[in-house]
Amino acid sequence: MASFTLTVNNKKRTFSAEPDTPLLWVLRDILGLTGTKYACGKGICGSCTVIVNGKSVRSCAMAIQYIGKDEVLTIEGLSEGADHPIQKAWIAADVPQCGYCQPGFIMSTFDLLSNNPEPSDEEINQALQGNICRCGTYTRIRKAIQIAITETEN
Amino acid sequence: MKNTLGRRNFIKLTASASGALVVGLHYQSCMPNKQKAENYGFVPLIQIDTDGWVTLIAKNPEIGQGVKTTLPMILAEELGADWEKVRVVQGDFDTSYEEQWAGGSYAVVLNWDLMRTAGARVRHALIAAASQQMEVPASELTTRKGDVVHEKTNRTIPFGELVVSASTITLPEEVDFRPTESYEIVGKICPQVDLEKMVSGTVPYCIDLHLPDMVYATVVKTPVHRGKVQSFDDTQTRSVAGVTNVIELDNSEYGGRLLDANSPNFVNGVAVLANSTWAAFRGAEKLEVVWDNTNSRQEASAGIFKKFHDQLAETSVERQDGNIEEAKKRAVSYVEHVYEVPFLAHVTMEPMNCTVHFRSDICEVWAPTQNPAALEAGLVKLFGLKPEQIKIHLPRIGGGFGRRFYVDYAMDAAILSKKMGKPVKLIWTREEDVKHDWYRPASVQKISAALDENGKVIGWQQILANASRKTSLGRDGGPAGTEIDEYDFPAGFVPNLQFEYGHVLSDVPLGQWRAVGPTATAFAAHSFLNELAVFNKKDHIDYFMEFLGPPRMVPVVGEFKYDTGRLRAVVDKVRQNSGWDTPLQEGQGRGFAAHRQAGSFVAEVVTVEVGGNNQLKIIRVDAVVDCGLVVNPSGAEAQVEGAILEGLCAALYGEITIKDGATVQSNFHDYRWMRLNEIPEMHVEFIKNDLPPRGLGEPPLPPAAPALANAIYAATGKRIRKLPVGSQIQTG
Ligand code: FES
Ligand code: FES
Repeated sequence: MASFTLTVNNKKRTFSAEPDTPLLWVLRDILGLTGTKYACGKGICGSCTVIVNGKSVRSCAMAIQYIGKDEVLTIEGLSEGADHPIQKAWIAADVPQCGYCQPGFIMSTFDLLSNNPEPSDEEINQALQGNICRCGTYTRIRKAIQIAITETEN
Repeated sequence: MKNTLGRRNFIKLTASASGALVVGLHYQSCMPNKQKAENYGFVPLIQIDTDGWVTLIAKNPEIGQGVKTTLPMILAEELGADWEKVRVVQGDFDTSYEEQWAGGSYAVVLNWDLMRTAGARVRHALIAAASQQMEVPASELTTRKGDVVHEKTNRTIPFGELVVSASTITLPEEVDFRPTESYEIVGKICPQVDLEKMVSGTVPYCIDLHLPDMVYATVVKTPVHRGKVQSFDDTQTRSVAGVTNVIELDNSEYGGRLLDANSPNFVNGVAVLANSTWAAFRGAEKLEVVWDNTNSRQEASAGIFKKFHDQLAETSVERQDGNIEEAKKRAVSYVEHVYEVPFLAHVTMEPMNCTVHFRSDICEVWAPTQNPAALEAGLVKLFGLKPEQIKIHLPRIGGGFGRRFYVDYAMDAAILSKKMGKPVKLIWTREEDVKHDWYRPASVQKISAALDENGKVIGWQQILANASRKTSLGRDGGPAGTEIDEYDFPAGFVPNLQFEYGHVLSDVPLGQWRAVGPTATAFAAHSFLNELAVFNKKDHIDYFMEFLGPPRMVPVVGEFKYDTGRLRAVVDKVRQNSGWDTPLQEGQGRGFAAHRQAGSFVAEVVTVEVGGNNQLKIIRVDAVVDCGLVVNPSGAEAQVEGAILEGLCAALYGEITIKDGATVQSNFHDYRWMRLNEIPEMHVEFIKNDLPPRGLGEPPLPPAAPALANAIYAATGKRIRKLPVGSQIQTG
């Protein structure tokens, strides 16, 4: 066990964990932030996507010992009342079916739009290719991203 | 419309301690069977508080099919509630709710009358109470947006002010349903329940549960199907910091490997328990198990399929109309082809998991299950519990697709909690999920058609050979249970028709899947019809319409018949919408298929492009659906798109293979799923009518694969008779 301090959703969190523990399980089991989901554990489905220092990462494939004092943003930190423009767009397009993959898609979209406010279709594809939605909500995900782009422009 | 559920006192009003009006189901007094009646109590469905808030209980498990929104919409509509002032709460499992399961596209079909009756009776009670208060006849009153309204005098009384007096009203035997033209909630876009929570990561799935003093667990199951533990060395496992216990799971201690919905059991293996999920996962990786595979047939995919092919020659007749042999003799031409579909996994996004707190007096379970009754039956069987000692909570579920009809993972968790004397949260890794699924059965089918001089089908023989779900679920020596059903298409459309089934025994665990049976039979039938159209040099849709014949009621089996006019209508519409009769570019092609299931009719056209490098791209899908009245339009469209993508995705990539008795695939890298860049344009249209609503989660799935295969043929001349499309054409 070693002690770590992270800034998660703008709050400093100090905790002890085994150094090889992936950020995903730190968030879920230690910090109680269960919005970040486990689905493959191998970095191939995107369900566990969070933002570390402004970039999206697969938290299941990133051991806590390599994160150090970095800033982590999870789905819970996106807004207080589901009112981040991306969340509002997701609500407007009624995207989720089972909903399990959605935090991952939203965080990948957050990364995309933070760095590229007007992505092309090709760039959207590129940015979200790492995420899987088993229920098949893709058409609405695309629609929601378009809504978020327009809303942010205005 | 009158309600048709004339059971006495079946819905009952009570007042709760807080003064709220509670309305629920109460079957006890109307059960003819006394003994069965004793199992039925009062279960709440609607609660109206004095502040006017309406709480509706969603009774069925929510797996992403939208039932947590759709059933409450029906209740709210009949009640005349304001959707903005409705809270929906998931009900726990209770046998008194009846039909509390998710599967077969039946939620709306089975609950439409029930929900309307409950809502309408409460409306009646509220109106009766208001009629006394306003001193006007009840017939002049109606309910709207949470108020009882007297239009003549423009007076309203909010529900909240009526609850006390309404609770004394005797409910009538019969009540009127609202006319569909007056609907304000059903058929309208309503924000789905949990929407904001789902986009905020705050909706609790079972996997998110945390209980004080909880132990985390995972399992390592026998890689070879039907294997068991011979011995294991857990030295390395126990050296992982945080690992506390290693426990063998041996199903012979619990009556052996019997597994069906009524007698669930679990797969042999070893569980690792720890103070965190990660420690359990790490510990499981380090476990060294020697497996005993003496019960295994040590199968491989090639051998299994060879047996299926061989078995085509030795079958039982499942349906016989006319005389197929005689039709073959009369035939001017004869067409015969063989189709193959693989085993398929479910890969629900939320992996198998379950939390159980087994105490001395009560076993409390939080389970992502489509089938809580089977879970209860399993606990009764394994531990000798009484139903009243079992409490099952049903949190929102990250996908079902039929996998969660089986409760093996819940049995694991219950055994572990009992042994530990503590709450246990068990999470299977994705690898365990893929390797220990209850797969969609693989099969081989041979279809032969006898055609007359006009190319009309006068004889149709369809033989399916495979290992049967029913046998796999524990009845090795028992009756096979056919995988081709007497009501499968085209039963009823050909005068000389024969369905046959050839049964093969296998160790591969098999089970339900979304739309299951027709995912194989409709793939073969609609691919074959396309081959017949090509053979006859006819347009596929023209040929299909001739095959259907004029609009009429077609008797299928016994009393069961359906209106081909509805099927023809969805086909006509999809022909228009897809631009079927307009030219395409070089390398592009359209394919068509149509299907009827769970009372609904679906027609689909898939448009593909195959590039110079043999690279396949699905460009567009058109679907037209007639499922009767559409209760929840946003959810309905989502179900159709989801089912079609699932069908396409499985057709492109889905394949579980078996080697040395074990499943080869393990995660999303070798069990691929479509991603955003591969998604076609989707155009979904619903036929508008107010016929009773029918099932929707499954019917759009089966046509997707044959429509895709037919499109590939149209684009390239290459016929796909074996799924997945995989390497036959370059995909993705
Ligand atoms: S759980 Fe991390 S990418 Fe799938
Ligand atoms: S909504 Fe279910 S996996 Fe995406």
